[in-house]
Amino acid sequence: MKKPGLTFYKSAAVVLILIFVGLQISSPDIENQPVTSEIAVPANVKKILERACYDCHSNEAKVEWFDKIAPASFVVAHDVNEARSRFNFSEWDRNPAGVQELLLWEMVNAIEQGKMPLKRYQLAHPGGKVSESELAVLKKYVNTLPGRHKVDTSRIVAQTSVNHKASSQKTPVSLNGIPYSSDYKNWKIISVTDKLDGGSMRIVYGNDIMVKAIEKRELPFPDGARIVKVVWGKQAEDNDGNVLPGNFQNAQFMIKDSKKYSATEGWGFAKFDGLDLKPAGKTILFEQTCANCHRLLAPENDFVFNIPTK
Amino acid sequence: MKSTISLYIIVLALLMLSCDERNTATLAPEYLYNAGDQKVIKSIINNKKGTIAMLYGNDLALETAHDSLSKPNIGAHYTLVTWKQKPMPQWYGTNMNGEIYSIEHLKIVQRNETRFAFDYDFQTGKAYQPSDDRPEKQQRIEFITSQQAAVFP
Repeated sequence: MKKPGLTFYKSAAVVLILIFVGLQISSPDIENQPVTSEIAVPANVKKILERACYDCHSNEAKVEWFDKIAPASFVVAHDVNEARSRFNFSEWDRNPAGVQELLLWEMVNAIEQGKMPLKRYQLAHPGGKVSESELAVLKKYVNTLPGRHKVDTSRIVAQTSVNHKASSQKTPVSLNGIPYSSDYKNWKIISVTDKLDGGSMRIVYGNDIMVKAIEKRELPFPDGARIVKVVWGKQAEDNDGNVLPGNFQNAQFMIKDSKKYSATEGWGFAKFDGLDLKPAGKTILFEQTCANCHRLLAPENDFVFNIPTK
Repeated sequence: MKSTISLYIIVLALLMLSCDERNTATLAPEYLYNAGDQKVIKSIINNKKGTIAMLYGNDLALETAHDSLSKPNIGAHYTLVTWKQKPMPQWYGTNMNGEIYSIEHLKIVQRNETRFAFDYDFQTGKAYQPSDDRPEKQQRIEFITSQQAAVFP
């Protein structure tokens, strides 16, 4: 066989250089939009966020020279755009107060599980790591947020007003087509929880397929598995330390169908708010918000948080 | 030399593959409790004791819990399952049920034509320690029968 000659290597090098130069020309720029409403947190917390998170999750990205070289620049631009779409510390007020708190708890969890900052970001930016003591600072901070010790002191309302009930006889349907159903009241309980962030207590039901899968230690869960989580506020603790459910807040559904819901890790998500069971979310994008957090933090559990595990 | 390099490449590729392999959680069906046909009355958290509990009941118990009748329904049957709390592995900020601590059954039975009696039974679970105090029977009967049902849509 004839060995490739010098001309072959020369032309290969020219082609590679051309590709490289071409990539630089089409390389995306990271633009910093104005800071409109920056997050207000204590200085020690801010310092950690600025160092480890702001490069992607803010409009104050400090882009290094090596971040601008293609093909790396494409990865950087993708990560920054994705990060800003999840939450942006420079446009923090775009999130309602309750969502702001939930995002802060989610951040602590993402850092604790080593999911954030991204490994590839840490490789290129050695200062991007969050140390154990810094994580402790963040944990301490989220525990001071207003929702952490929220007590439901309002009178417990047992049903919607008669007028409302008459007008809401129709079955509520989530934007992605999942209807509310009270079948879960005949299912088994798979877990009971006390959610400290936001202050609520929950009972989680599983249908027969779900319960059998847990009994057989079958993961991922089979199609047809269904989970319903019923959420209440928490009443003030009594003298013996008991905390009882207050008002009904919402019911959250997860339905496994690996084909139908392939875009959200095989699970269909729905949430129905208040006693009149108003489907949550303004657009169908709501299900991506659910899936994003489940995907990030619970992949080991087939994306379900509320299952009994060792 | 060449074989060493290819060996390195194979080992490296295997390492990368194994890093990509997702860890799978170990399910713990022993934390489940089968309450049979009984329905949910409510859940109860106790942070002083570090426990979380589910109160179940048959239709008669549920009726009492809904209407807060002053007199217990004869034939009512309650089950109070108490677990030790544990932090949720995937979410810092939530506590959930771990090992079962105790199972309490309470039946309201007819003693004679005018009177009823309480048939109370306390069973220990895996998380119960022999040195733990047994609950006071009369207090538990009052606690269980006085519970209002949680509001459902």
